[in-house]
Parts: sequence; structure tokens; C-alpha cells
Amino acid sequence: MSIQSTTPQPLDPTTLPDHDNVPGNAYAYCVRLTQPLFMQTGRMIAYYPAPGGQGIRFEPLMATSLTGMVAERFSSPLYSRDWVVANGSAHVILGDRGFDINSYDLDQGNLTVRAANLLAFDASLELKESIIPGFLTLIGTGKFLASSSGPVIFVEPPIRVDPEALVGWADCPAPSLHFDAGWMGHFLGAARGALLGTRSGEERQYDFTGAGTVLLQSSERMMEDPQVLRRLEGEVDGLGTGQLQRLQQVIQSRLMQQQQ
Amino acid sequence: MAFTKVTGKVVSAEVRPGGEVLARRGAMLAYTGQVRFSPVGAGPGGGYGGGMAGALGRAMAGEAVAMMVAQGSGTVHYGYHGHHVTVVDLDGGSTLTVEADRLLAHDAHLSSSVVFLGQQGGLRGAVRGAVTGQGLFTTQLSGRGSVALLSHGGTFPLQVGGGHQIVVDPQAFVASVGDLRVDVAANVSWRDAVGRGSGEAVQLKVSGQGTVYVQASEEKL
Repeated sequence: MSIQSTTPQPLDPTTLPDHDNVPGNAYAYCVRLTQPLFMQTGRMIAYYPAPGGQGIRFEPLMATSLTGMVAERFSSPLYSRDWVVANGSAHVILGDRGFDINSYDLDQGNLTVRAANLLAFDASLELKESIIPGFLTLIGTGKFLASSSGPVIFVEPPIRVDPEALVGWADCPAPSLHFDAGWMGHFLGAARGALLGTRSGEERQYDFTGAGTVLLQSSERMMEDPQVLRRLEGEVDGLGTGQLQRLQQVIQSRLMQQQQ
Repeated sequence: MAFTKVTGKVVSAEVRPGGEVLARRGAMLAYTGQVRFSPVGAGPGGGYGGGMAGALGRAMAGEAVAMMVAQGSGTVHYGYHGHHVTVVDLDGGSTLTVEADRLLAHDAHLSSSVVFLGQQGGLRGAVRGAVTGQGLFTTQLSGRGSVALLSHGGTFPLQVGGGHQIVVDPQAFVASVGDLRVDVAANVSWRDAVGRGSGEAVQLKVSGQGTVYVQASEEKL
């Protein structure tokens, strides 16, 4: 066996791609940075500063020198803490917890993607929060990077999708929630309290109709989304005393279940 | 003797008399032939080179990943917790620096030592270990042979030198080969202290001549 077969040639800026996966690794992606790029925090793995350049500045959105551009392009206060603007010239390598990374081109389009799966997007695109919680919508023309657990599968509606297998959707209307008919019958027939613990995990689905494309990941492995907690915390403000007490009961019973 | 890749997460090694293999304890998946596994004192320092000083260094460093040696003749498959495995071949002229917990297996005739980071870069080295959570000690391997490294998401080699400098995220840094200097480029502001920073405040600036192995994820093992 030759030594070359186990040792790939080291990469450098002359052999790294300008906008593609790192050769031999679907989990890492190299971008040649020339203009500002929005990036989720903590996704930079390494970068080669361009010769003679100053390297890259990672500016938090709360403290950026490009306030006007950011305010125009990044329309989501909920996620603003988790994103930075990378500015400078360099070859940047991005990675996301060992998930597959792909680049997507949008041409005068709109695409909604799970917030935890979106890694980076060109400043030519506009970001908005989807009305489906936990998803972000990109509008305009440009490139963005998204990760998925396993390769992405493209399917056309009509289709029903497990919420955890959904990466995003493009051009079609936002999904509605569909509940399995058998489960619904059980739900309507049973007392609500007795229903706890009878969930199969598959009774709740997203229902897509209309024309467009739905992006699925081949695994249901959940990516933990810190926004879920933050969003819930934000909504607690609007509750009254009785509702808060009810919520406390629900949380306590959930905790008891998990500890068993 | 080189390791052979079976899948991205499993390697196999030929073991023969005079060609023993040291591996992390618990990393053996399967073997054929007449192979015996015996624990090695405190890492490679215990039985194979390094001696007392090595063992002491490890104990102090917390770089105490228990190793075992495979002796006899046969083929052994190694893997650990489903992590990706990278095989690095050393030509005898350069030294590999790696954290002990990223080491899966290596040829037993490679000499290993535990190095205090302060020796490399004085106070800066020590600061680097403390800031990046890597600890104050690291493992160095030298000689002619193969090393199998663990990573999350697989690794790829990046060239340093020839006019190229590179900046690496501390969590993604796996190992380095060659004559390299690693400095902490800390950009920490009050915003990072309150969790509103860029998330990229601490970076490792690598210069010199050599290769850096980087994993495609920011998750530590």
C-alpha cells in the first residue's frame, strides 16, 4: 500500500476552491471572501488571510461598522445575536458539527430554511423570519450555505413531511400542520390528560401543497435550536398569573416524565 | 507500518513481532490472528520511551488517556465512539503534535513525549493552553511510522508556509506536523463576556513551515 493513498495532499489557497466543498470532505466548505458575508457564529473553522490583507473581521451585528446594510438585510431581532458579518479578504473554511454542507443559488427567488441549518448567506440576499417558528426566509439573488444531516433530498408537493426531517422549502406556500387521522380520532375520543404518553412521534406532520420544492434531510436527528427556548421565554411575558401557573404545572409534569 | 482505512471511521493495522501497535484503551473493535492486548502504564510514557518523566508529565498534565499495546501477529481493527479517523504518516523528519484525547493509535516504535506548552512559546504557549481549553500539556510523536487521529466530521490538511499563514478556530484544531508556531490571537472584548460577541474571539494564528490538520466541526471530542 502506498503512503499517498492514506495521506491527501495538504491544501493551500492555490488549491482550495473559491466556492465549493473542501476536496474530499463534504462536511467542510470553502468560500473566497471578497465582500461582506453573514455567518452564524462559531461556524468558522479556519481561514487563510489573502496576501497583504488584514485578515477577517468578525463583527457582531450589534456592533458592526456596516449598520445601514445590516439593518436593511438582516430583518430578525430574534436571531441577531447568533450572527456576525465577516468582512475582509481571505479563503474561509466553514463547518457545522460534522453535517453535510451545500451551497444554494437563489435567483430572484425565496427560500425558507430551518434556522439551525443556515450557515451563511451573501449580503445581496435579504433575511426575514418565517411565520413558521424556527425557520428563516431568504429573498433575492445570491448564494447561501446550509447544512443537513445526510445529503439533501429535493421533492415536489403535495407531500407530508416529518418536522425533524424538513430542511426547508422554496417557492411553495408555507406548510400547514397535519395530524394523523388515527391519532386525531384518539385525541377527540380521549380525555386530554389520558393522552400523555400515547404519542408515536409520527402523528404531527407538515403538509405542503401547491407548486415548488421541498428540501428534506435523510435523517431525523434533531439539531438543537437554542431559539426555541428564547422564543418561548419571549412569549411568557404576555401571560397572566393563571396561565403562568398552568405553564408551571405543564413544565413540572414534563420534567417528572423525563426523570423517570 | 501504515494503518489501512476500512471505512471513514475504522482503520486496521497489521501487528507482528517487532511491529507492535499502541492504541487508546477500548478502541479495539475486532482482530484476527494471535494478538494479545496489555495495558501500558500511563500512556506511552509508561512502557515505551519517556520513562518516569513521561509518566509523571502525563499524570500532571491530565493528558492521561490510558493506552494499550497489541502484540503478536494478526490484524486489528480500531475505532472509537464513531469518530472519524485520519491516518498521518510520519517520514521521520518531522514531529506531530496532538492532544492525547485525539490519539487513536500509533506504531509503538514512534517515540512519544508530553510537552509543556510553555516550552514552545514561553508564557504565550501557556496562555494558549489555558485560553483554548487544551490544557497546558500536549503530546508529541516523532520517528518513522503512522498515527491514527480521531476527529469530529473528518479532517483535512492545510499547508502553512511558502507565504501562507493560517488562522484556525481552537475547537477545530486537531494536530500539526512540522516546525510551526501557534499563537493566540485574542480579540476578546466586553461583548464576549456577556455573550454578545462574534463567537470567533479566540483564534489560533499558525505560522512557520508545516501542515495543520483541521476538523470540519467545532465540536470537541
